[in-house]
Amino acid sequence: MLKTEINELLTQTGPGTPMGELFRQYWIPALLAEELPENDSPPVRVKLLSERMLAFRDSEGRYGLIDEFCAHRGASLWFGRNEEGGLRCAYHGWKYDVTGQAVEVPSEPENSNFCAHVKLRSYPLVKIGDVLWTHMGAPDERPPLPEFEFAQVEPEQTYISKRWQESNWLQAFEGGIDSSHVSWLHSGGLKSDPLFKGAKGNEYNMNDLRPFFEVADAEGGLFVGARRNAEEDSYYWRITPWVMPSFTLVPPRGDHPVHGHWWIPIDDHNCWAYSFDYHPTRPLTETEVAAMRAGHGVHSENIPGTYRPVANKDNDYLMDREAQRRGEYFSGVKGIAIQDSSLQESMGPIVDRSKERLVSADAGIIKARQKLRKAALALQKDGTVPPGVDPAHHRVRSAAVVLPRDAAFIESSQDALTAEPGKPHASV
Amino acid sequence: MVPILQNSCARATSLEEARYRIDIPIEGRRGARVVALDDGAATLVRRLAREPWNAARFYTLPAQEPGEPGTWLHRTSGSSTPLADELAEGDVVVMIATRNDASAAAVETLGRAAAERGIMTAAVALGRQEGMTNAVRALRPYARVLLVNGEESDVAELLTAIRS
Ligand code: FES
Ligand SMILES: [Fe+2]
Repeated sequence: MLKTEINELLTQTGPGTPMGELFRQYWIPALLAEELPENDSPPVRVKLLSERMLAFRDSEGRYGLIDEFCAHRGASLWFGRNEEGGLRCAYHGWKYDVTGQAVEVPSEPENSNFCAHVKLRSYPLVKIGDVLWTHMGAPDERPPLPEFEFAQVEPEQTYISKRWQESNWLQAFEGGIDSSHVSWLHSGGLKSDPLFKGAKGNEYNMNDLRPFFEVADAEGGLFVGARRNAEEDSYYWRITPWVMPSFTLVPPRGDHPVHGHWWIPIDDHNCWAYSFDYHPTRPLTETEVAAMRAGHGVHSENIPGTYRPVANKDNDYLMDREAQRRGEYFSGVKGIAIQDSSLQESMGPIVDRSKERLVSADAGIIKARQKLRKAALALQKDGTVPPGVDPAHHRVRSAAVVLPRDAAFIESSQDALTAEPGKPHASV
Repeated sequence: MVPILQNSCARATSLEEARYRIDIPIEGRRGARVVALDDGAATLVRRLAREPWNAARFYTLPAQEPGEPGTWLHRTSGSSTPLADELAEGDVVVMIATRNDASAAAVETLGRAAAERGIMTAAVALGRQEGMTNAVRALRPYARVLLVNGEESDVAELLTAIRS
């Protein structure tokens, strides 16, 4: 249960809100690099943290994220022409560069300095890996660029997709640290999904359906450990890191690539679920990439030309009662991503947390909400830089390990939980 | 399959439709039993006991009582009470440790008693993990949910979230 005021505090991310200001402390994914594939490619409408913007890539390959609406009379610049080093409004021809600076106002005399005083609000847009990242906070508080391993390995070792989720970011993110749903909702996938099946760990997973949970504070967020019996004298641990505000990694399975997510608020009722897979030491195989493109693993099959899943709330997520009966999909919905989105969207745009009945197994979620609230309030009160801003906090890994029964997961897996180029991941 | 009424399909999860969710008062939890395992935890538990709770009960471990450690509990009001009586209506036991020498024997008694009765167990170990390895090791087999390197506020936060 959460008081209504706190629920509002955590779910509202527009400009000026405490949680909105918290998100504006971080570099966050704004869009995929594939959305701006070449110089002068068509501009893309981007809504983030309840602000409407336009992303474009100019003739010299510079990226920019600017106010969507023209300073002149407010027409959407999405209709504009992206050419010769800037974006020209289709209405009266005002032209802007990637920083939002007006560079030409055709109605003014040629030598006028009028346009020097016209600048649209803009944010930086930086390509790291296959993602274009932005920082929407004050320019003088801009932190160093992010150092998440999935975006730093060689291009052939990583794959990322995104999907539009019709719910508030927090209920989507909470799914990422809610280890207790995996043995239920996603149970079908452990046996059949090409990006999961075959790992030794899956047996431990299925043989012990009542895991013990351990939640440990970390500098950048949390580590949530789920412990199951392995052999007589050992435990099987699955360890999920969370880096604030909304980055999580799924514990790996065998030699499969590691999956993870970023949940980014579009507005208070919608979010982007970025889903990636990477392998720290080898290129992804063609079969793996084909499976990811087809929507297996944590990815989704999207309506071509969009980032909306084919299975969505307008078609009841293509619910298949027969498959549910056969046990192929526990919920009757196909695919991990849509299994999650269907249930999280079913909770309503912003779930009313004053009506929940949490249990102690939800401790990871309880602790994460507390950390978010504390960080947002400390930022508001005295400008305290929140956990997860420092790139050192980004260098984490998930792990799936078998440890002796008396070993503590954090200490015994310190090395496994730290990302380092070329180091194999700890996975059974 | 064509849905006939709006609320016969997933599209009914709009903000508009969310208003029609059946609204009845939610009963709080009746069986939270919070046990301090050492002196530091006892101070915290005594403070928490003064706050308004639904039905949570708070205990410390008596210094000297007959039988195995943990078979008797001390109410924050001062009187002693047998563990078995206190667990009769329990649904979760929350153990709190602030020191590395928290009684492993008491943890075992509490943990076993809860397990026999099908009562959930949780524990919060306060303070840096390095200094709490023994306490964590004692708690791990018996706490189905364990918060390590926790802060004091975690305890109240956990109890509130689960409607204690
Ligand atoms: S069982 Fe968890 S939301 Fe229904
Ligand atoms: Fe999930």
